[in-house]
Amino acid sequence: MNALEINDVSFEYVKDISVIDNVSFSIPEKATTILIGPNGSGKTTLLKIMIGLLEPTSGTVRVYGKKPKDMRNNIGYVPQKLYFDKTFPITVMEFLKLADTSSEDEILSILESVGANNLAPSRIGELSGGQLQRILIARSLLGKPKILFLDEPVSGIDISGEQNFYDLIKDIQEKYGVTVVMVSHEVNVVSQIANQVICINKEMLCSGEPSEALLPEVIEQLYGKNVSLYKHQCK
Amino acid sequence: MITLELLQLEFMQRAFIAGIFLAPLLAVLGSFVTLRRMSFFADGIAHASLLGVALSILVGVAPFGGALIIGVVFGVLIFLLERYTSIASDAVIGIIFTTGLALGIILISLQSGYQPDLISFLFGNILAITWSNVWMIGILSAGILSTVILMFKKFTLTSLSEELAWTSGISTTYVNLLFYVLLSVAVVLGVKLLGIILVSALLITPPVTAKLVTGSFRSYVMASVVFSLIAFIGGLFASYYLDLPSGASIVMSASTIFIAVLLYTKILKKS
Repeated sequence: MNALEINDVSFEYVKDISVIDNVSFSIPEKATTILIGPNGSGKTTLLKIMIGLLEPTSGTVRVYGKKPKDMRNNIGYVPQKLYFDKTFPITVMEFLKLADTSSEDEILSILESVGANNLAPSRIGELSGGQLQRILIARSLLGKPKILFLDEPVSGIDISGEQNFYDLIKDIQEKYGVTVVMVSHEVNVVSQIANQVICINKEMLCSGEPSEALLPEVIEQLYGKNVSLYKHQCK
Repeated sequence: MITLELLQLEFMQRAFIAGIFLAPLLAVLGSFVTLRRMSFFADGIAHASLLGVALSILVGVAPFGGALIIGVVFGVLIFLLERYTSIASDAVIGIIFTTGLALGIILISLQSGYQPDLISFLFGNILAITWSNVWMIGILSAGILSTVILMFKKFTLTSLSEELAWTSGISTTYVNLLFYVLLSVAVVLGVKLLGIILVSALLITPPVTAKLVTGSFRSYVMASVVFSLIAFIGGLFASYYLDLPSGASIVMSASTIFIAVLLYTKILKKS
C-alpha cells in the first residue's frame, strides 16, 4: 500500500510563476523516502503541500487515501527550524505535554528512544540545534503517527552529529514501523538510509530506488556540472 | 487599619474588585502576548477603542459598551488583514490604530464642551468605575479566564509555532481568531481602569518581569499573575495616599517591580 500519492501537483506563490511544476509520485508504506534537490528547488514547499500546510495550485495529494488536512492526527512533522523566543520559559517536558494527552512516563520513554531522556527539565531555548531536533522528533512520535515528515533535519547539527542523527532516524523507522519522508539537499544521505529517492528541481527529475534512480546525469541536472565533475575526479 | 479605612470608601471597593479581576486576566493574556510579540496589538486596540467611546458619546449611551464593540471589531479586522493579505502585521495595526483614533477625534470634535468620559478613557479613572462596570468586568474576566484555561495548551502551542500546532490537529485560524477577540475584550476592560494610553503596561510588564525569574511555563504564568496583583494593589494604595492618578500609579508600581527584579537578577548573576 502507498502511504502517500501525489498526482499532477503544481504550486505558485505568485501567479504564473511555478515553484512546483506538475509533479506526480507515490511513497510506499513503512519505508524511508528522501526528497533531494538543490536549495530553492521547491522541496520544502512540496513537503508543506504533502502535510497540508499549503494547498496545491492544481493536482491532488492523498495521505493513506485521505486529504492531508484530514490525516493530521496520523502525521508527524519535524520542521527545518523552530522559530520561537529563545528566552521563553518552557521546559522540554511542558513542551511535549502540549502535543497530546501522553503521560509523563510515556513522554520519558519516547525521550529515551531519541536519546534525550536527560533533557526533560531543560528549557527548550537552552538546547543546542541537535538536541532541539531530537526533542522535535520525540514530539512528532508522541501522537503515534503513521507517517513522519522531516524537513532538512540535520541543518542545525554539526558534521559529527549527522551520522548519529541518521542512525536515529533508521532506528525510529524500524522500531515504530513508521513511514519516513525526509527532505534534504545532501545527496550523500540517500545511500545511508533511503529505500526510495525522489529528485526535485521544480519538476520531478527522478524517482525510485537510489541505486537505479540517482544516475550521474540526474545529479548533474540537479546540482550542475561542477558537482558531477568533482565526483568523477574523485573516482 | 489603613487598609480597612481605604476599603471603606465605596469607589475604592469598586476599583479594588475590578482590579482583582483585571490584573490576573491581563497577566495571563500578557503571558501569551509577549510570547507572540503582540504588544503593539494591545496598544492598537486600546487607541482604536476611542472610536467606540466617541460613537457612544455621540448617540448618548454608556461609552464602555461602545468601546468593547469597536475594540472587538478592530481586533477581528486586524486578524483578517494579517491573515488574508501580505501586509506586515505592524503596518496593519498601525493603520487600524490611527484610523480608529482619528475617527474618534473627529467625532469628539463634533461635540461641544468638556467630555469627562473621554478623559477617563484616555488616562483611566477609578472614580469613573460604576457597580455595573464592576459586574461587567467581573463576568467578562471570569468568562475569558475560563476560556483561556480550557484552551491553554492550544494557545501555548499556537503561540510557540503555528506550523506545529496545525500539524497537531489544531485549527490555528479559529484558535488565533478566538485569542484576538478575547485579547481585544480584555484590553478594553483594562482601559476602564488604566486608560487607553497605559493599559498595555499591565499586559506586558508583569509577564516580562516574570520571565526574568522563572524557568517553566507554569511558574511564568503564575508569577505574572502575582506581579500583576502586587502592582495593582501597590499602585492603588500609592494613588490614594499620595493623591496621584490611579492608572499612572499602577503602571509605575509595575515598572518599579520590573526594575527591582531586573537589578536583582543582574546582581545575582554577577555574584
